[in-house]
Amino acid sequence: MGIMDGKAAVVTGAAVGLGNAFARALADEGAALAVCDLRPDIEGFADQVNAPTLAVQADVSDAGAVRGFIDQTLHRFGRIDVLVSNAGVWTASEASDPIDKTLRDAASQIGTNLKGVFLCGRAVIPAMIRQGGGHIININTDHVHTCGAPFEEPGCDASNCPFPDTIPRPTGGGPAMDLYDAAKWGINGLTFGWCQALKPHGIRVNGLCMGATDSHMLRGFHNFDPPPEEEASWMRPREIARVMIELIAEGPRGRTGENIGFCMGRPVALPPPRANPYFMESGRAV
Amino acid sequence: MGALDGRSAIVTGGATGLGRAFVEALAGEGASVTFCDLLAESPDIAAEVPGPGRVQGIVADVSKLDDLRRLTAAAQDAFGGVDILVNNAGRWRRTPVTDPYEKASADWDFIMDTNLMGVLLLSRLCVPLLIEAGGGDIVNISTYYVLPARSPGTNNPDTDLYNASKWALNGFTQAWSRSLGAHNVRVNALCMGATDTAMLRGLWDGEPPAEQVAAWIRPDQIAQQLLDLLADGRSGENIGAWVGEPVQLGPRKPAHRTVTG
Repeated sequence: MGIMDGKAAVVTGAAVGLGNAFARALADEGAALAVCDLRPDIEGFADQVNAPTLAVQADVSDAGAVRGFIDQTLHRFGRIDVLVSNAGVWTASEASDPIDKTLRDAASQIGTNLKGVFLCGRAVIPAMIRQGGGHIININTDHVHTCGAPFEEPGCDASNCPFPDTIPRPTGGGPAMDLYDAAKWGINGLTFGWCQALKPHGIRVNGLCMGATDSHMLRGFHNFDPPPEEEASWMRPREIARVMIELIAEGPRGRTGENIGFCMGRPVALPPPRANPYFMESGRAV
Repeated sequence: MGALDGRSAIVTGGATGLGRAFVEALAGEGASVTFCDLLAESPDIAAEVPGPGRVQGIVADVSKLDDLRRLTAAAQDAFGGVDILVNNAGRWRRTPVTDPYEKASADWDFIMDTNLMGVLLLSRLCVPLLIEAGGGDIVNISTYYVLPARSPGTNNPDTDLYNASKWALNGFTQAWSRSLGAHNVRVNALCMGATDTAMLRGLWDGEPPAEQVAAWIRPDQIAQQLLDLLADGRSGENIGAWVGEPVQLGPRKPAHRTVTG
């Protein structure tokens, strides 16, 4: 018996790393799974789990490819209960880059990390509305959930922080990440808009904002040869996936519109629900 | 003598509304201003700006790279470079989540090509010029949606793409303020609530209700905030303005402990 028995989940970018851990955790809970990835080895995913599986090589920045993937999923499973928009890419980009490089970087990073989240969300929302419920989980970063400069998270300061003396604290982005961070910040616009628009339909929308986690992307950042002491400090995809399952297990009356932060050096756990400081509903914060 | 004598500024979307107020305020302090707009009357509008700074108006679309190259070339040719860039041009459209997928996909291009790619590409073109000038300012025009809410109505659920485009600017403001600080280039954003602009008036079929208009922030108040910001020297901040409150720069945000992680 699992919390996803009889239900179907979509996970993007599921071939490796975090997405793979999310998909496996959902399969362990009984979900039928539709997974996609740019990497051709996604097609071997079915061998990794004991669950009905649809595995498709697809680029989430391509509107037609997303349409096709979601249509196939609905044809196969008849429903989509959970969407985990996880697919993400990173390449170094910065303010002084030339235009040609910038156009390539934007197509890849804005395309995958923001447009992909938009397209996948918009493609599954009609099905979730028809079903009368669902849960969209957008995978974000602690760069948008920071208690460091220059954009501190409102309501998160030393006076109420449960871990005021924990180092390192999230600081909001590193060098050569302007497009990555723009895409990830942009996800807030989707999460915070959708959670309000979809609340009457029983659809929840949340973000997971993790610091350094042992993902394919982070290993790639270190040319797949990370310093051992740094690697040891990373959070584990399995731990994040466990919290994601707890978040889903809250059920239809669970939290929505929340960015859930995971900071290195702190327990990887689902925090108590928290009001979203960026919008109010019926005159009060929700 | 103006505070911005001898400086060259670019303002996008400068023919009307907020952009027009920015142009007038910058020229009023002596800056030479190159603005662009989709409006064909832009050159004539430029001629009407009192100055004392010189003003040229270029018909250009910030979603088109060739137009952006023409815009920066015009600023260089006429005024010798770029010291100040105000990324103001923006598009707004309702994009409810219940729209058909095909509309959603087209809406992505409509909003993002201007609000996100326009800011990105023009800034990329201007950064070498700002560095060459020995420093300067980039000011991104955002929205109070990206600041903690003080009233209902922010992060409108029917404008997911507009909201996302403005949230995305945080990434630019944040990253550029850090990487360009060494070149004496400051990067900030102005994040205003309802301001009396063509974009806002466009939400009504006819005239918006007078009592509502009376409550709106005036473009000249935000333009003054821009001048105060340029004089202040801070970088990496989202600066808010709210309906019903005085429009001011406010104190600098306290420096936070920054630990790389």
